[in-house]
Amino acid sequence: MTNALEITNLRKSYGDVQALDGVSLTVPEGSFFGLLGPNGAGKTTFISILVGLVRKSGGEALVFGHDVETDYRAARDAIGLAPQEFNVDRFFPIHEVLEHKAGYHGIPAAEARVRAADALKRVGIYDKRNTRFDWLSGGMKRRFMIARALVTEPELLILDEPSAGVDVQLRRDLWDLVTELNEQGTTILLTTHYIEEAERLCDEVAILDSGRVVAVASPEALKGRGADHITIHLHNAPHSRPQLLVGDDRVESIEWNDDQLIVTAREGGLIAPTLVRELDREGLEIVDMEIARTSLEEIFVEMTHSGVDRTPSDQDEKEHAAPIATDGGHGERTQ
Amino acid sequence: MSAIDRLAARTPLPVGFYTLTKREILRYVRRPKNTFAPPLITNILYFSVFGVVLGARVGEIIGVPYILFILPGLIVLGAISNAFENASFSIFHGRWNEYIHETLTSPLSYTQMVWAYIISAAFRGLLVGVIIAAVGVAIISSLYQPVPVENPFYLMAFMIVIVLLFASLGVVGGLLATDFDDLTMMNQFILRPLVFFGAVFYSLNDLTPLLRDISLLNPMVYMVNGVRYGFLGVAEVDPNLSLAVLAGATVVVASIDVWLFKRGYGLTD
Repeated sequence: MTNALEITNLRKSYGDVQALDGVSLTVPEGSFFGLLGPNGAGKTTFISILVGLVRKSGGEALVFGHDVETDYRAARDAIGLAPQEFNVDRFFPIHEVLEHKAGYHGIPAAEARVRAADALKRVGIYDKRNTRFDWLSGGMKRRFMIARALVTEPELLILDEPSAGVDVQLRRDLWDLVTELNEQGTTILLTTHYIEEAERLCDEVAILDSGRVVAVASPEALKGRGADHITIHLHNAPHSRPQLLVGDDRVESIEWNDDQLIVTAREGGLIAPTLVRELDREGLEIVDMEIARTSLEEIFVEMTHSGVDRTPSDQDEKEHAAPIATDGGHGERTQ
Repeated sequence: MSAIDRLAARTPLPVGFYTLTKREILRYVRRPKNTFAPPLITNILYFSVFGVVLGARVGEIIGVPYILFILPGLIVLGAISNAFENASFSIFHGRWNEYIHETLTSPLSYTQMVWAYIISAAFRGLLVGVIIAAVGVAIISSLYQPVPVENPFYLMAFMIVIVLLFASLGVVGGLLATDFDDLTMMNQFILRPLVFFGAVFYSLNDLTPLLRDISLLNPMVYMVNGVRYGFLGVAEVDPNLSLAVLAGATVVVASIDVWLFKRGYGLTD
C-alpha cells in the first residue's frame, strides 16, 4: 500500500529561524493522523509545504508517492486542505467558490455544480449557497472551509485546527463527519490544540516541538509512557510507614501524608492490586482508592517542555509564511 | 451549466485553465459599474473636450479631423490601462486576502495559472477598447465623418498584442506590489505618462527632431501608431516592425510571469 505521506528530513528556515529541523514522518494511507505541537512548533509550515504555499529548504516530501515540488500537480490534486485562516474568494457566492475550486482540480462544470451542492449539504449550509462568504456566521464559515476541502473528494484531507473557536455542537458534527470520511477510506491529517480531539479521533499522533518530531505513536501508547497517580486513603494513619513495592522499577515515587498515600508509577492499573495486597498484609485498612491515568495532555506538555512560550509564536510562523502583510480585514476593493 | 461551459467542454481546453479564466472574467463582467462605466464616462469627456471643443481650434492633423486623430490613442490608453489594472489588481487582491491560495494549492500548472490571468485581463482590455471605439465612432460619425477602418487585420493584431503585453506586465505588477498604493503608483506614474507622451494627442511630425527621437524610445508610440494605422492607414513608424517588436516583448514578459510563478515570487515563502 502507498503511504499517504512520506516525509524525510524535511527542513525549512526563515533566515535564522529553523521552522522545520529535519522532520521525518510516514502517514499510512487510510489512517487518521494527528499532528500536535505548541504554538510555533512548525505545524502550519509543514502543511504549507505539502500544498505548495511554502518552499522547503531541504529534505523530501511525497504525497501518495508524488514529490511536492517535482510532481506538484499530482501531489496537490490528492489534497483537500481546510486551513485555519479564512482564505476564501469573497467575490462570489459560496456555491460558485466551490465550483471554481472543483474546476481547478479538473472537474467539469456540470459535475462541479453537483459536487458543490453535495459538499454544502454535507456540512449543513446548503440553504446559504447563494450567500457570499462574508455574510456567513463564524460557525458557518468554519463549515464552509470543510466543504471547500471536500469538494474535490481528496484522498488526503488536511484539517488545520478545524475546531478552533467553534461551539460544542459544531465540533461534534465535525468529528462525526471526519470519522465517517476516514471510515470510507480518506486519509486524515489533523492538527489541533485540543488534545481530547486527537485522543478521541487519531490512530496515531506525532508531537512536533521547535520544528522537530519528538514522538510518533498511538495516543494509548503515548499515555503509557507517562506516570499514573494512585491515591489511597487509609482508615488510620500508620504508626510506622511500611516499605511498599520494593524493587518495582515502574514506581517513581511514594508519598505519605498522614492517612493518605500517593504512589506515582507507570502502569498504575497493574501495580494497584499488588499495592492493595501489601497494605492489607500490613494491616492497614483502605477506605478509598483512586487511580488517575496520565492524560495525553500531560504527556504533550512534558514532551514539549511547557507547551507554551515557544519561539517563534504561531503568529511569527504565519508572518514568515505569508508573502505580504495583511490587515486581516479582507476589504472588498474592486477595480 | 452555461452555454459557454458546454462549448468549452467540447474543446481540448484544460478544465482548470478554463475555470480560472472564467472566474477572472466573471469577476469584472458582473461589476460593470466598477469596470466598464468609468472608461465609458471618461472617454465621453475626452472626446467632448479634446475632440470637439479643442479639436475645433486644432483643425486637422495628417489630413483628418483632430478628434479622429486622437481616437486610436484613446482606445490604446483605455485598453492597456484596463488590461494592466485587471491583472495586477486581481493577483494582488488575491494575495492580500490570501484567496489566491485556492488557485495555488490546486493542480493547475504555473503556465496555466499565468495565462488564465493574462487572457482574462487582456479580454477586459479588448472590451474596454471596443466601448471606447463605439463612443468615438458614434460622436465622430454624427458630428464629422464616418470613421474608416483601413487595415482591419493590423487593427485587430495590434489590439490583441498590446492588451496581452500589458496584461502580462500587470501580472508582474501584481506580484511585485506590497500595498494597494504600489498599484496606483504604477498606473499613475509609469503607465499614464508613457501613454500621454506616446503621440496620442499630437503627431510625431510636430515635434523637433530631438524630441521625435526621444519619443521613439517610448513603446507606446508604436502601439498608438499601429492602431492608428489600422484605422486611418497612415503610419509614422513601420507597422510590421512595431508589431514584431511588441509581439516579441509580450512573449518575453509572459515568460517572466511564468518564471516568477514557478519561483513563487510574492506568492510563497
